Amino acid sequence: MQKNRMNLSLWVGSLLVAFLVILAIVGPWIAPYEEDFKERVRNVEVNGKTKIISPPLPPSADHWLGTDKAGSDLLSLLLYGARYTIFVTLLIAFLRVLAGTVVGVYLGTAEQAQRWWLAVENAWGYIPMFIPAYFLLSGINVNAELPVGALLAIFIGLLSLLGIPSVVASIRQKTEQIKHSQYVLAATALGAGRHSLIYRHILPQLKEQITVMFVTEAIAIMTLMGLLGMFDMYVGGTFMTTDPITYHSVTHEWAGLVGAYRGFIYSAHMYIFLAPLGAYTVAVVSFALLGKGLRQRHQGTYHRTAYL
Amino acid sequence: MTKQLLAMFLLVIIVCGAPLMVYTSKEEVVFEPDKLVSRAVYLVEQMSHGTLGTYELGQTEREIAHDLLPFAVRSFGLLLGGVLLAVFISVIVGLFLQRFFLARLLQRLLDLLSAIPDFVLVLFSIMLAIQFYKWTQIRIITLSPNSDAVNSWFPMAVLAIGPTIFLTKVISLHYRQISGEDFIKTALAKGLGVWHVLRHHVWKNILPIVLADLKKTVAIAVSNLFVVEYTLNVVGLTRFIFSKGAPYQFNAAVMGLMAIILLSILVYYLVRLLLYVCTRTFVYE
Repeated sequence: MQKNRMNLSLWVGSLLVAFLVILAIVGPWIAPYEEDFKERVRNVEVNGKTKIISPPLPPSADHWLGTDKAGSDLLSLLLYGARYTIFVTLLIAFLRVLAGTVVGVYLGTAEQAQRWWLAVENAWGYIPMFIPAYFLLSGINVNAELPVGALLAIFIGLLSLLGIPSVVASIRQKTEQIKHSQYVLAATALGAGRHSLIYRHILPQLKEQITVMFVTEAIAIMTLMGLLGMFDMYVGGTFMTTDPITYHSVTHEWAGLVGAYRGFIYSAHMYIFLAPLGAYTVAVVSFALLGKGLRQRHQGTYHRTAYL
Repeated sequence: MTKQLLAMFLLVIIVCGAPLMVYTSKEEVVFEPDKLVSRAVYLVEQMSHGTLGTYELGQTEREIAHDLLPFAVRSFGLLLGGVLLAVFISVIVGLFLQRFFLARLLQRLLDLLSAIPDFVLVLFSIMLAIQFYKWTQIRIITLSPNSDAVNSWFPMAVLAIGPTIFLTKVISLHYRQISGEDFIKTALAKGLGVWHVLRHHVWKNILPIVLADLKKTVAIAVSNLFVVEYTLNVVGLTRFIFSKGAPYQFNAAVMGLMAIILLSILVYYLVRLLLYVCTRTFVYE
C-alpha cells in the first residue's frame, strides 16, 4: 500500500467528529431560540385576508428545520440536545475502554485462563445489549423525580457496565496473542515482571487497536441509544403524559428525539421526524468514517504486501 | 442441555425482573431484590398449576397461554424468513456471483449501508415504502395488525437487511482469501469449470465459516426483530415484552423473552439443517 496516499475516510471522519464536538459545546449559545420557546397560534394578514398560523410549522426562514407539534423550534432543540448525544457517548465509550483494557490486559496476562470468564464472555456476545439496558432503565427513567444529572449518571454507569465484557473479551484475546510473541518471551527470560511486560510491551502494541475500539464502542453506544429511544427510554429521562399517552425527551438528546417523533413518519409533517433522524445519522456516520479511516491507517502501517 | 435451559430461564427472570427490583420512588433509587423472588416464585407456582397467568393488551385482560402460540408462530415465521433470506442473498452475492461486476457493486452498496445502524435502515425502508406508494399507488406496507399474511413479506425483507449486510461481508471476505489459494489455481489449471470449482472447492471451504457466523447472524436478526415488530405493528412476541402504555407485566415479559430465545435456537438449527441438505443435494448430488 502506498504510504502517502490520502486517507479520505480519516480526514472527513475527523473533521465531522470535531465539528460535532464543537457544535455540542457551543450549541446552546448559537441556538436561535430559547430551549422552552414555543411558537403560538397567531393570525397573519396575507393579501388582505387573515390567516391562522398554527404549529407544526414547515421549514422557513424563521425556523430553518421547522417546528414540532408543540411549536418548539427543531433546530434549537437539536442544538440544545447535541451536548448530551456527543458527550454521553464519548464518556461511556471512554469508561468502557478504560475499564475493559485494565481488566482485559490483566486477564490476558494471567497464568491460567479464567474459565468462568470465558463462559460469561461467550454468553454475553449473543445477548442483544438493549434488552437488559431497557429492562434496567424502565423502572428508573420514566417520569422520575430525580434531577437530570442523576438520571444521566445512572444511564452512563449502566451502559458502561453492560458494555465492559465485550471490550474485555477483545483486549484479552489480543493480549494473549502478544503474550506468545518472541519479544515478550525474551523480556520474560530477562526477568521482566508482569507490570513491566504490560506497560512496556503489551500496551504499546495495543495502542492503535484501543483507539479503533474507542470509536467502535462510540458507534455501538449511539446505536444502543437509538434503539432505547425507539422504545421510549431517552437519555436523561423520559417525560410521559398519560392521557393521551405521549413521550417527551427531557434533554432533547438526538436519539431520544428520533424515538419521540417517530410517529410523524406516517404523517404529512415528515420533516419533524427527518430533522432529528438526519442529525443522528450524520453523527453515527461521522464516527463510522473515523473508525474506518483509523483501521485503514492501522492496516497501512502494519500490513505486509501479499505476493500473490 | 437441561442445565443450560435452566440457567437461561434464571437469566431471563433476572433481566425481566429488573424493573421490579430497581425503580425510583420520590427522589431516590430503590433496590429490592426480594420483590423479584416473590414474583418469580408466584410465576413458577402458576406454571406448576398449568397456567401462565394473564396480561393486559390495551384494555382487556387476556390469557398468556392462549396468545403465546399464535404470537410465537408469527414471530417464528418472520425470524426464519428473515434469516433464510439473509443467508440466501449473502451466499449468492458474496460467493456465487462475486465474480460479476454487478454483484460486487451491490456488495459495495451494502458496505456503505453498514455504517448506518440497522434500526435506522428499518425506518428508511418504511419511508421509502411510503414514497413508493405515493408515486405508484402500489401498497407494499401495511400497519393493520389483523391484515392477511400476504403482507408479511415486507417485515421479512426489512428484517433481513441487517443480517444480510453482516453475512455478505463475512462471506465475500473469505471468498477473496480462498480464491487466492493454490488448490483453486490447480483446479482451474486442470480445466475444471468455474461453477464446479465454486461448488466443490470454494463452497466447501466457506461452509464452516458460514456455520460459525450463523449464531451471530441469528442474534442480529433477533435484535432487529424487536424493532421490526414494534414499528411495523406485527402481532408477535414483542407484544408481550414491550407493552405500549400499559404498566409493566412481569409474567408476559418472561414468557415473551423465553419464547424468543427458544425460537432463535430453533431457527439456528433449522437453517443449519437446510444448509446441510442443500449441500448434499447441490454439491454432492
